[in-house]
Amino acid sequence: MTLVGGALAWPLVAHAQAPAKVHRIFWVSTGTRLDPFLEAFREGLRARGYVEGKNVAFELHYAPGNPEALRQVVSELRRGNVDLAVASGPATRAMTAVTDVPVLFAQSGDPVALGLVKSLAQPGGKFTGATFLSLELAGKRVELLKDIFPKLRRLAVLSNTDHPGEQSEWRATREAAEGLGVVPLYVPFVGAPELDKALAAAGDARADAILVFPDPATLAQATKIAQFAVKQRLPSMFGWSEYCDAGGLMSYGANQRATYFWLATYADRILRGEDPADLPVVQPTKFELAVNLKTARTLGIELDASSILFRADKVIE
Amino acid sequence: MTRPRRSLFLKYFVTLFVAVVVPLMLGAASEAWFGYRDQRVHLNEVLQVESRSAAERIQDYVDGIRDQLGLAVQFPWIQGQDDRHRIDALRLLQQMPAIVSIALVDQTGTERVFASRLSLNRIGRGADMSADPAFVGARESKVWYGPVRYQHDSEPYMRIAVAGNLASAGIAIADINLKLIWDVIAAIKIGDTGHALVVDDSGRLVAHPDISRVLRGGAGSGDFSRLRSVVDAANGAAVVTTGDDGKPVVALSVRAANVGWTVIAQQPVLEAFESIRAALWRSLALITIGAFLAFALAYWLARRMSGPIQQLEDGVERVGAGQFDHRIAIASGDELEQLANRFNQMAAELAVSRQKSERIDRLKRFLPQQVAELVEHSEERLLDGQRREVVAIFGDLRNFTGFSARAEPDAVMAVLAEYYQAVGAVITRHEATLIRLAGDGMMVLLNAPVACENPAHRGLRLAIDMQEAVQSLANGWRAKGYGMGFGVGIAMGPATVGTVGYEGRLDYTAIGSVVNLASRLCSSAHDAQILVDAVIAERVKDGVALVPLGKRMIKGYDHALQVFAVAHGDTVVGYPDSRPQRPRLEPAKLAV
Repeated sequence: MTLVGGALAWPLVAHAQAPAKVHRIFWVSTGTRLDPFLEAFREGLRARGYVEGKNVAFELHYAPGNPEALRQVVSELRRGNVDLAVASGPATRAMTAVTDVPVLFAQSGDPVALGLVKSLAQPGGKFTGATFLSLELAGKRVELLKDIFPKLRRLAVLSNTDHPGEQSEWRATREAAEGLGVVPLYVPFVGAPELDKALAAAGDARADAILVFPDPATLAQATKIAQFAVKQRLPSMFGWSEYCDAGGLMSYGANQRATYFWLATYADRILRGEDPADLPVVQPTKFELAVNLKTARTLGIELDASSILFRADKVIE
Repeated sequence: MTRPRRSLFLKYFVTLFVAVVVPLMLGAASEAWFGYRDQRVHLNEVLQVESRSAAERIQDYVDGIRDQLGLAVQFPWIQGQDDRHRIDALRLLQQMPAIVSIALVDQTGTERVFASRLSLNRIGRGADMSADPAFVGARESKVWYGPVRYQHDSEPYMRIAVAGNLASAGIAIADINLKLIWDVIAAIKIGDTGHALVVDDSGRLVAHPDISRVLRGGAGSGDFSRLRSVVDAANGAAVVTTGDDGKPVVALSVRAANVGWTVIAQQPVLEAFESIRAALWRSLALITIGAFLAFALAYWLARRMSGPIQQLEDGVERVGAGQFDHRIAIASGDELEQLANRFNQMAAELAVSRQKSERIDRLKRFLPQQVAELVEHSEERLLDGQRREVVAIFGDLRNFTGFSARAEPDAVMAVLAEYYQAVGAVITRHEATLIRLAGDGMMVLLNAPVACENPAHRGLRLAIDMQEAVQSLANGWRAKGYGMGFGVGIAMGPATVGTVGYEGRLDYTAIGSVVNLASRLCSSAHDAQILVDAVIAERVKDGVALVPLGKRMIKGYDHALQVFAVAHGDTVVGYPDSRPQRPRLEPAKLAV
């Protein structure tokens, strides 16, 4: 009786004791303050019984499109001030110097290649989290675009070079495109301020379609990019469904919000004292194909004839 | 007084305490044992049900994938229909989230369609897969399950190949992400903290509710294969072993036959035997309470028993020490109270008896010692009728009748008083028994009722003293002209002695010829003479000089008896109580 009581009481006690200890979570992002990922992460924490202000507190640091700007705040990270740091997307790159605070990341690049973890199975350090496998999906996006728009010959590829692993992604995209008989037109830009210039360049590239690499900087400007694509009558392909919500034609990739929601379980485990070194980096199992029918109609693309719709996980009408 | 080695209190206390606590403990022990057995059986059943259900769900899950793959290989490969197969493959991907990629291979082993969630799709004649174990295996046995492997050393994958019913339909080979079995395994909860896990034959973890355990890849597979072999060895029964988290668990395994995996259901020992532990705690609490109660009860009862007994002991000690007014106050309402009441009664009686004894002590001062002793050691038997050898002494005054007729009563009474005073003193001195006073005569008995040493000597001595005492009085009387003398007869022989009379008046007396003889001798004695019978003469011949007077006829005897008289100026020797005084008997009076 006592022991079951003890076992049952343990989580309660942990929660009951939580008010005494407010876990401080350091959130860094290169996106904007209108952050859907933070919301998903918060939801995940709430589902685990955390109450903001009571047993968890966030310290938010945003440097839209500029990971370098985060280095200063990150360098001040010390154990004691902060219990856990969460790096969203490219912000992870600013975190590499962190050594004594557990860091959760959610990013598209390969964390092993970036030197964040030793292996996916056993990170072996302070870093763990989720990787979106963007590299493999890069080719898939070109293929899907070709499926929906078989006349595709020239593809503008809009890429924020600030994004970690961006070069690999471009390489994968280029190889896939070439394999499919498509000419990829690389439109790089550095950070948010250069986006307008990049869009102008993409418009001048005489492309048949546009592929935008998923990145907080472009996500922040998703509506602008989507509108640009419609205006240019370019079928657009993105990495996350949030772009489709903003008017993009298609997206294919892991569900970001689900990933951030799930990331909260790792946050919970680390806050409870587990070592991030033992928590394997998680890869998404489900990839969402989102299609915006409204945009398709505006562009005059007949989707019914293609093999896209039955494969779509999310159709925006 | 020495204290008893083991007190009654301790004995009672221990006995009562043990009598309560031992059955309690036996009860608790048997409850624990049977509870444990029942729980083992129950646990076995629960784990069996859970692990079977888990195994079934996993088989169903895998069978579901197999069936879906079967749909993709229903139709033979016809020229120009690759696109239809491509759509089939894409729909399969859409339908089965666990399928990461699918390859449709024609009967020659050539890949015709490849669809993937991650890689680029391929259509048309592709790689030759005729040597692929998946192709070979499926062609042989329709369905083939590949080994579990970890992609990037982290994510568990497996290939499943299904051959169509028609050989020409080819074979579908799917790559399955086993992470999705997590949904199946995570749904299985055994108790509060128990869970199920799936391990393949080489000890690789396939599914675990904590997905991060699976994602660690090959790490820890040693633990899992150990767990699997331990649990497998039990042949479907629950065993207690170290679980995957290093804590003791109760585990049971069931095979998922189609894929050749082992499903292990485990529950932490702490939780599994919680109900027993609870029962044990309950029993322990009961035992503790019982022990306290038993302690209190045993203490109370033992006190109740030993307290009064101590009081009684104490009372006996006090009464023994003479404190007769001590009373024991026990109100237990049982036999002990009765005993105390009896004791009090006894003490009261003792007090009365003591009072009596004190009164007798006071009385003793007024009584002859013999009588006093007689009263004190009131041996009834002493006064009982019996036959024994006695010395009877008779004495009476000579010429008293004449004197009493002549003299004034006052003078008579004065003479008698003097006479009794003198005779009484002698009798007392010689510790003899005065049987009777009758006017001037008296009867004295020796050796009855109180036995004495050498009664013949003593009796004769008494007679001589008595004669001397009365003679000294008689001298005075003669001077007054009363002219009285004193004669004594003494005889020894067997007589019946005892108490005679009626209630209110009892006399101790002796009956027999010896009394008669003494009385006759007294009657025939002259003044100042002491006549002695032959028995006494024989007994005192060495101590007192006697003069034989020859045989005489005595009334009541049909033959003459030898009679002796105490010689004049005789010295009594060898008699223990002899005094230097000598009887001053006048020689003239000794004449027969």
